[in-house]
Amino acid sequence: MSDVIQLGPWQLAVATLLVLAAGVISAILRLGVERRLGIAALRTVVQLGLLGLILERVFAVRNPVVVIALLLVMTIFAAREAVGRATRCYRGILADAWLTMAVTCLSVGAVVTQAVVGVEPWYEPQYVIPLLGMILGNSLTGISLCLDRFLDHLQTRSSEIELRIAFGATRGEALSEPLRDAVRTGMIPIINAMAAAGIVSLPGMMTGQILAGAPPLQAVAYQIVVMFMIAAAVTLGAMLVVLLAGRHFMGPDATLRLDRLETRNHR
Amino acid sequence: MAFLECGPFSASDGEGRTLFTGVSLALDDEMCAVIEGPSGGGKSTLLRHLTALNHGPESERRLQGRSYEGASLPDWRAAVTLVAQDAPMIQGTVEQNLRFPFDQRRGAERRFEVEEARRLLAAVDLGQIPLERHVRTLSGGERHRLGLVRGLLWNPPVLVADEPVSGLDPETERHAFDLLLRFARRPGHLAICVLHDPRLADRADCRMRLNLDGLERA
Repeated sequence: MSDVIQLGPWQLAVATLLVLAAGVISAILRLGVERRLGIAALRTVVQLGLLGLILERVFAVRNPVVVIALLLVMTIFAAREAVGRATRCYRGILADAWLTMAVTCLSVGAVVTQAVVGVEPWYEPQYVIPLLGMILGNSLTGISLCLDRFLDHLQTRSSEIELRIAFGATRGEALSEPLRDAVRTGMIPIINAMAAAGIVSLPGMMTGQILAGAPPLQAVAYQIVVMFMIAAAVTLGAMLVVLLAGRHFMGPDATLRLDRLETRNHR
Repeated sequence: MAFLECGPFSASDGEGRTLFTGVSLALDDEMCAVIEGPSGGGKSTLLRHLTALNHGPESERRLQGRSYEGASLPDWRAAVTLVAQDAPMIQGTVEQNLRFPFDQRRGAERRFEVEEARRLLAAVDLGQIPLERHVRTLSGGERHRLGLVRGLLWNPPVLVADEPVSGLDPETERHAFDLLLRFARRPGHLAICVLHDPRLADRADCRMRLNLDGLERA
């Protein structure tokens, strides 16, 4: 690893100029996103900085309890991010998102770290934390898109759903179309990423490994594992989260409860 | 014991103003009953309660002596079916819109009859519209009639229709209402509809007015 080029404060300052340029363009075109861009950039620096500090500690301690605790904290933050920007929500949306993340990401993560990569010892933070981070990050996007689409479908196409209900549809029949629509939407980013991998884009993790000096074929093998685990986590997560969300809007009597849908005003 | 018994239903509008309270219905079969009342008076809301589409406090719903509640409400809706005022459609063709109820579990024992669909479409002057036509391309009036045809083709014991013939020219209106009357005046069948036109309501078998304290038989 000695041949890796080190980044110092000066190099980071130059990179900051790139975000500043984006902010200036936003101001000139009056896109109105410069404030949010600035906050997002600041959050990146603070969060990643904190993460770096925490990871240094966790890697040094190598205690399974600490690793598990960190993983749980990560799922909580992922769930908050997944529902935080939605324009529609309902009571219990955060709990549903968290449960989904915890169940799907941790189980997919377990399969990958234990069965595929075969990490020794099983909680080795250097593998477990970045892999779960990648699963959570992608799953978050999928779940957030999926939930958003599901709630949008319930609201904007309620007359269609109620039409089926009026002719005796069961809960499963009434919700099958919104469910499919939502899961399909949630899966678009990962399908695009898999289809474009290697042709249009060099996926992030592979790029990282190559930059760090790993042999390209090894990086490719890891990237394939990562892509597949993300696909599994996103698909499972999308299905689970809409099933959980669906319960809030329809009981076994198949009455559509749009009164439980809340619209939030942001910004 | 009446053929259809349900209620009591109460409802208020978005501002919390009471639309009606304690409305109950008991109707016999072989007839067409009409509900009249001022606009915004809650007639559509009452029909939605009747067909169990609105969530509300528990009400009794009985058809031919059998009671429906909770998980059996889909059975109720398959038997007491609403033809809504705004003629909602699923995305797809005319045929898909007429066929989907038969593809649902509650329609599993029955078959979608293309010939019967064509006959009913012709009876409301939609005979020239091919079944493969996408419903998106239909006019408002055509959709409205298609909605009624879907209800008649489904042929439930009780058809609940919200202004089923509004917005049609006088002759088509007469044809459509004739169809509805013929549907209703068979043993084991009943139609309940909201109508605004007193001339049409005159031809029905029973007229009721909805006001604050309930349904009043005229």
